[in-house]
Amino acid sequence: MAAEKKLKAPKKATEAELRAIHIKPVPDEEKPQVALELLRRYKDEWRSLVMAMETCVKCGLCAENCHSYLGTRDPYNIPAKRADLMRKVWKRYFTPQGRLFGWLVGAEDITLETLEMWYSYFYQCSECRRCGHVCPFGIDTCEVTMAGRRILHQLGMVPKLHATTGAAMLKSGNHMALTPAGIQDTLEFLSDEIEEENGFRIEFPVDKPDSDILYVPSSADFMLNPETLKGAARFFHYIGANWTITTRMTEAGNFGYLFDQALVQKELVNRLFQEAVRLNVKKIVWGECGHGWRAIKMYYNTMADLPHRIPITHILDEAAEYVKRGLLKLDKSKNPEPTTLHDPCNYVRACGLAENLRVLIKAACADFREMEPNREKNFCCGGGSGILFDDPDMYELRIKFSLKKAEQIRATGAKVLCAPCSICKAQFHPMIEEHHLGVELYGLIDLVGRALVWD
Amino acid sequence: MKFFIGQVMPYITVTIFLLGLLWRVWRWTGALRIHNIALSPFARNWVDTIGIILAQILFFWNPWKFDRPLWVGAWPMHAALVGVLGGHAVGIYFMGTQFTYIGLSVAASKQASVLLGQLVGIVFLVALLYLLYRRIAIEKVRAVSAPSDYLHLILLLAIVVVGDLMRFLPSAELEYEEARHYLAGLFTFHPVPIPDNWYFIIHFLLVQILMIIFPFSKLVHPLGMLWERWIVNRPYQDTPLGLPGVRLTLGGPAGETTASKGV
Repeated sequence: MAAEKKLKAPKKATEAELRAIHIKPVPDEEKPQVALELLRRYKDEWRSLVMAMETCVKCGLCAENCHSYLGTRDPYNIPAKRADLMRKVWKRYFTPQGRLFGWLVGAEDITLETLEMWYSYFYQCSECRRCGHVCPFGIDTCEVTMAGRRILHQLGMVPKLHATTGAAMLKSGNHMALTPAGIQDTLEFLSDEIEEENGFRIEFPVDKPDSDILYVPSSADFMLNPETLKGAARFFHYIGANWTITTRMTEAGNFGYLFDQALVQKELVNRLFQEAVRLNVKKIVWGECGHGWRAIKMYYNTMADLPHRIPITHILDEAAEYVKRGLLKLDKSKNPEPTTLHDPCNYVRACGLAENLRVLIKAACADFREMEPNREKNFCCGGGSGILFDDPDMYELRIKFSLKKAEQIRATGAKVLCAPCSICKAQFHPMIEEHHLGVELYGLIDLVGRALVWD
Repeated sequence: MKFFIGQVMPYITVTIFLLGLLWRVWRWTGALRIHNIALSPFARNWVDTIGIILAQILFFWNPWKFDRPLWVGAWPMHAALVGVLGGHAVGIYFMGTQFTYIGLSVAASKQASVLLGQLVGIVFLVALLYLLYRRIAIEKVRAVSAPSDYLHLILLLAIVVVGDLMRFLPSAELEYEEARHYLAGLFTFHPVPIPDNWYFIIHFLLVQILMIIFPFSKLVHPLGMLWERWIVNRPYQDTPLGLPGVRLTLGGPAGETTASKGV
């Protein structure tokens, strides 16, 4: 279709890839009707979506507060207009004014073209909630894009990236399809590295029963960000923890949250609680992943079929408490370079971590510099909600989405960028090159681990 | 026609307004699934929540911080709206003598009433014009606007223009007594003929049109805001910190169990 050629959209999953996540695509001619049925069901159930649809007054405040619009200047990347892609259909079929007055009140019929627009623009939103933070009413536009992605998923319109990651999650309990053997090997290797660097060995306990703590790292740590794993191991060793990682659920993230919010998301939640019971742990500690922390923190009680009483906290919150009480001996000179902090959206706008990140980074680094704006006003890295696409069109967009961020980083003059979130790290690795930022990239527990003083 | 507009339509209007609002709110409240999607700033208790919401309502806190040019139009417009509505209620009921309660003479009170009415009437008009200009001239606002977004502003402007004419033109003015008598008739279900003042009749008709479309438009945003913020600004209790079975507990080194520390 002509419209499709102009739209930038991620490569779609094939039928085989959809089958791997148990989706049978809906034929094109039935898609609008099925989409409408699903939307009607959400209208009756899902209050945050209802309020987003019903409360917007089109004031336009969200526009220049969204990195996506600032980087692309595409009007459909204005959060209110992005939401309008769904709202115009909502008005048309679910409101008297939309049924009576159509285009006059901004109502429109749903067509296949509508759904292609949804697919393009709901995957250009990184679900960072900055728009929700600045909106006078607190309208959370990502509730709209999440609902949109859920509907598209059931129609069979899923990005290849999300579908294949979902399949990996169902099969192996993590995004990267790491196998138990692969996990063991990597951790052995990292123990070797720690031994070289620290002069003593720290083992990573794996599938150890009767552990007190279950640590859940991001699977990307194993391939892309091993310093984060080493930092966590150092922290647990320092405090003398009885901890373990499980090979059945080695994933702090949850891509299912980012497209299906059903079977795939639940897979990790179910595995988590099965393992927590099997290994008889008393507490679950989460690793460095933004959306994953938000997903488990906000949804685990409603996602799991039974209420679970094993408490879950974040490693950075726990470590910060140790620093606040003066119990971690840290040597700032181990992190001497000027360092700036990227506040991951999900940490600061969804999970209240902003101050604890600063407690840690100020204690571990000699020359910490804030970027502006910061904390909950910070801008997204541009890769949130897994929109880390590599197809040329979408990769170009990633560069634009991270434009505002690049400006912020450059302005600090920092040589080290600390980004304690897995998707942010995945975005920054290439974007640091694209924007010629010349900074090294670390997580936060990495820096804490390096600064620890061992008696 | 004057009979219909003055003595029949008001009852239809109020019924549609009230039932319409109830129905709209019923649809929102009927959607029962609410995930715990707390959004910054994070309320630790209901006092925090009320504080956050009040700051938004009273000061338009987010527009002030994140889009000052919007605040410049939106806050004065809404402040003047409150002034206008309050002024109508109080001024008509007390027939301009409300300020005798703070020590003014009757004549001075009536003068003050007129002056305040003129003041908020002008502020309201200018602010609305600014917002309409903004919607037409600024690309990001134009991009998100449907025709009805402009029409709402035009309707409000029409109401305010006619109201201002009544406040500024002696020939258009309506005495408080006449307005009070007429409205009292409506409220007590003994309607009397509408005053023979075309400015008033048009003003009154336009306001009724506004009330009829109100429940079916974005004008319900004061309520929408409360429903939305009740979701995102509700208090959230964090899970207590403290790691079990560690050698170095939050209380200090070795020996203590951390069972009491929130495990």
